[in-house]
Amino acid sequence: MKKMGKRFAYSTLGLAIALTLLGCAGGAINWNQEPPYSRSLAWGEKGSGPGQFNDPTGIAVTADEVYIADARNSRIQVFDKQGKFRRAFGGDILGRPMNMDIAGNRLYVPDYFKDVIHVFTLAGEYCEAIKTDDGLTSPGGLAVRDDGTLLIADTYGQRVVHLAPDGEVLRSWAGTGIGAGDFNYPTDIAIAPDGGFYVADGYNDRIQQFDPDGEFVRKWGGPFAMNIYGPFKGWFTTVTSVAVGLEGSVYAADFYNDRIQKFTAEGDYLTAFGSEPANAGHTAMAVAVDNEGTVWSVNFADNRVEKWQPD
Amino acid sequence: MFTKMSLLLAALVFSVSALAAENHYRLGVNGLACPFCAYGIEKRLNKIDGVTEVRVDIGDSVVQVTLKEGNTLTEEQARRAVDEAGFTLRSYAEVDGETGGGNAE
Repeated sequence: MKKMGKRFAYSTLGLAIALTLLGCAGGAINWNQEPPYSRSLAWGEKGSGPGQFNDPTGIAVTADEVYIADARNSRIQVFDKQGKFRRAFGGDILGRPMNMDIAGNRLYVPDYFKDVIHVFTLAGEYCEAIKTDDGLTSPGGLAVRDDGTLLIADTYGQRVVHLAPDGEVLRSWAGTGIGAGDFNYPTDIAIAPDGGFYVADGYNDRIQQFDPDGEFVRKWGGPFAMNIYGPFKGWFTTVTSVAVGLEGSVYAADFYNDRIQKFTAEGDYLTAFGSEPANAGHTAMAVAVDNEGTVWSVNFADNRVEKWQPD
Repeated sequence: MFTKMSLLLAALVFSVSALAAENHYRLGVNGLACPFCAYGIEKRLNKIDGVTEVRVDIGDSVVQVTLKEGNTLTEEQARRAVDEAGFTLRSYAEVDGETGGGNAE
């Protein structure tokens, strides 16, 4: 009997240790968690008119405007921060625009179908199409560094590419797999305040962090961040977008779990929030954070833009 | 009046026969819910000669492909396009007429 008790105690201890390890690996155990955000504004519906969307797939924000990649309508729509339509552009140029970025009065739009990065002024005038020397293969997202170079999530290319504005490939991080620095359909990139960057490693269900020199720092998302997906805190089921907010916090669109998850710069889980889909499909497609810390997202299933603020 | 009616009838007959001449296929593809994968499949199917329309029904994980008259989509072509997009072809069928539904390319 005593032996049984001892065995039970050891089993319980073992289970507790295993669960703790799993929890830590997923970033779920963190004593500084925050309350969730609430949705304070939403607009949009399915269609092709102004203020309507057919697959919103990307979002970028400035101090006073919200830019939406309206993928199946092959255009960019711009709104004020109350949701009032201002302008649309790109209709004669874009194939499928995805996760975008704004830098230096320019909008950078990866085109999943045309395999280029389109550059527009914020007013909507077309500037150029950036191509790589070796060709992109369905770029899904990007981020522009302070020096004007681009980091591109080349989704079907299974790599991250560092590109000069003239298209010269400065560096490429490639390799399909679940190890550190490997990718499985990377979908987006966000720059950290220190010049490092985060990669939304889409179908590896994780975020990978790199330092300013491009060296791997850490990864998180599920146990050991090795392509184990699920609905728990700090886990993902396909990461489709990543953004960096105030104080370096990291926001990730967790598509199949219909939520945006927020982490510290080191990957500790802080909170999650999102919309249940009203239509077939999933909601949390892309995320952006403005300079006031307000979070903006596009709801894919319901063809909406959503604004989120802390409770 | 008679001439106008004749022209209208001829146009109608022509458009119906044109529609009937198209070839339609229905592909079952597992795991088709996120746009990164759905668009990947669309992109590859659109490269096949004669494809005029690709519709993805995300909810049912079904892709409907239309080809113009004289063009066909073999099961092997469909399988290759779906494989290249990183997915597995679950089913393949040639279907009649307008397939409808989903999101048009």
